Amino acid sequence: MFFRMIKGAFVRQWKKMLMIALTIALGASLATAMLNVMMDVEDKVNQELKTYGANITVSPKNASILQDLYDVEGQAEAAYLKESELGKIKTIFWANNIVDFAPFLETDVALNGEAGVKLVGTWFNHHLSLPTGEELDAGVTSLRSWWDIAEGEWLDEQAHEDDAVMVGAAIAARLGLHAGDTVTLTGGSGERTARVAGVFDAGGDEDDAVYAPLHMAQALADAEGLIGSIEVSALTTPDNELAIKAAQDPGSLSISQYELWYCTAYVSSICYQIMEAIPDCVASAVRQVADSEGEILEKTKLLMVLITVLSLIGSALGITNLVTASVMERSQEMGLMKAVGAHSRSISGLVLTEIIITAIVGGAIGYGAGFGFAQVIGHSVFGSAIEMKLMVVPIVAVLVILVSLAGSVPAIRSLLKLDPAEVLHGH
Amino acid sequence: MKRQQMYFRMISASLLRRRSRMLVALLAVTIGATILSGLVTIYYDVPRQMGAQFRSYGANMIFTAAADSDGLTTDQVERASALIDAEDLVGLAPYRYESVRINERPVIAAGTDMAGAQSTSPYWFVTGEWPSGDGEALIGKAVSNTYRLGPGDTLTAQYVPEHAADAEEVEPIERTFKVTGVLDTGGSEEEYLFISLADMAALTGVDDRLDVAELSVSGGQPKLEEYAEAIAAGVPEVTPRLVKRVTQSENTVLKKLQALVLLVTVIVLLLTMICVSTTMMAVVSERRKEIGLRKALGASDNSIIMEFMGEGLLLGGIGGLLGSGLGFAFAQMVSRNVFNSSITFQPLLLPATIVVSILVTGLACLSPVRSATDVDPALVLKGE
Repeated sequence: MFFRMIKGAFVRQWKKMLMIALTIALGASLATAMLNVMMDVEDKVNQELKTYGANITVSPKNASILQDLYDVEGQAEAAYLKESELGKIKTIFWANNIVDFAPFLETDVALNGEAGVKLVGTWFNHHLSLPTGEELDAGVTSLRSWWDIAEGEWLDEQAHEDDAVMVGAAIAARLGLHAGDTVTLTGGSGERTARVAGVFDAGGDEDDAVYAPLHMAQALADAEGLIGSIEVSALTTPDNELAIKAAQDPGSLSISQYELWYCTAYVSSICYQIMEAIPDCVASAVRQVADSEGEILEKTKLLMVLITVLSLIGSALGITNLVTASVMERSQEMGLMKAVGAHSRSISGLVLTEIIITAIVGGAIGYGAGFGFAQVIGHSVFGSAIEMKLMVVPIVAVLVILVSLAGSVPAIRSLLKLDPAEVLHGH
Repeated sequence: MKRQQMYFRMISASLLRRRSRMLVALLAVTIGATILSGLVTIYYDVPRQMGAQFRSYGANMIFTAAADSDGLTTDQVERASALIDAEDLVGLAPYRYESVRINERPVIAAGTDMAGAQSTSPYWFVTGEWPSGDGEALIGKAVSNTYRLGPGDTLTAQYVPEHAADAEEVEPIERTFKVTGVLDTGGSEEEYLFISLADMAALTGVDDRLDVAELSVSGGQPKLEEYAEAIAAGVPEVTPRLVKRVTQSENTVLKKLQALVLLVTVIVLLLTMICVSTTMMAVVSERRKEIGLRKALGASDNSIIMEFMGEGLLLGGIGGLLGSGLGFAFAQMVSRNVFNSSITFQPLLLPATIVVSILVTGLACLSPVRSATDVDPALVLKGE
């Protein structure tokens, strides 16, 4: 009998039930979409912030870097890292968080006879096939995304353009170079001719340099198999007190703190792991990028959390409201049931069962729709899918059930308290 | 006159008598209006607030001397920076670089304004204290390691004037500094010695000469380009340059964040508005019998629709007003918690929220009322 009544309610009142289910679905989809986006926003924004370039630099332990601004006399013997050690960066504990890296080797060359031009050997879009099966294109094409290519194109290493270089805008203007020209580079050990693949405008000191494939710079500098420094772009967790303490001296941590620090992707723990992997190097965080990144990530996340809370409250109140309205609408029906002798308990059981069934159907539809909305946001804003977080399913389920009950129970109780005669009379 | 009085009495009586139902409807409208005004306020304010956060990436504009002169003066920098709105200028740090010797080994000394450097490069991490006066110095981590100097130590810097090469005996100028802090940036600044501009002038004997000035200016790339053009035209001695790495990346990331907030706002609003409409529909369709009764008593369809619209208008107006206030309070709370700054009230948003609330309420009422008036009153009253 109970089931027949419920079935009857759904068949006869399908329009009203549909409306309730629709509202619950809307609320649930809102909650699903916002929760999914909120939980994934940190990763997504982190990826976007990679446009600021590397957040870790690795240099040889005894590097004398004084040659930077002025040619200071009494330069110490330059220190190098080995090119063969480069792959080890992708073997550290947090290897998956390392999204990009490139080696750099600087040397002075003569360009078309003009001496004292800075030549930087590096990777452009170097293809790496890692032993783990991962494929990765690493190099300055992605690490220097803010460069404007004024003429020509990015040097394409994968097209085996071995004898090509990219020239900074300042040098190109000074020497009258254009994309497609052929230049002669004379280094400490030999001479190479190269095609100018492109002219870039970096809006900084880099405009005064020529960028060449790594092996060309090594040949010109007589430094086969050596590199000067490495820039690493890693996805990191914003620093907290533990990370700051560890960055100063990892030895000061207790064993459990050390483990927690080592197994969290703080910029300091990634630096530490790189230093473990590559002998005689110093890996340090580029504070301009690393610190700011953490700050912006935190703010974005907090913003999304608050917007999510608002939408959750909104959808919860919306559902409660509608359920209350729809229960009140049935006052006459409930009065009639009471008048023909039904127990209060069986009436509320009936109404609640109907509402819970509707809520489950609506919630399931809403979850699907909400996940769709999350994908719309992911694809149109970040150009990639929002990861499905399993945690969202129980949260939305509990929210929908609780909220439907919260909306219906007080209304049912207040209606049952009324005298059936009065209710039927229409008061 | 009488007619209008009656109309108002009917609307207000209907709202008052059916208190609990109307409360439900009002709550629905208020939620919708709160979300509308709160999210739109945030959407308008996010670029400004987020832009301020991006200033933690440091200087995005640099002044250098024009190609034919040998340096900038403080006056030129001041005249150029005066062309930037005071509220957009987050920080300005002038720099003058000279090569000096400490213990006979060369180090680059940078003369700057410490407060300016602190505001243009908020990511500088100083162990110890920032120098607060003349005779005090901040040293880079690399310098600290080379000379084994730390906060509290003193160092003696020696400057050999430029003409020393051909002159027979030029006395090098010597000054002693107290190290107050060690600078950690992960960049080339770690190899420098930072002193005040006055100390630099005393050390070199040359006054009022700057190499570059770093500026941190809030605003997007187009605004910065405008400023750069204005400065290049207004103060020809100064060449302004944008730090592409910072401006371009900020542009990319900020655009994405804005798009994110926009899309979220649109989806949340859309869903909320539909939610409000369904609730209104539920509340109104409950009154089919009332509509039928009125029709049976001889009320015209138009007057019934007008009455419901009037109720909707009142509900929408009150809900919109409440929602505007609550929404602003929410936006203010977000701004305080996330960005530590308050939000400006958008006066236009108040009428907009009220109008949207009224429209949504009105439209939501319309279809159930129409369907009730279309049907024969006898059928409606019978309950079919």
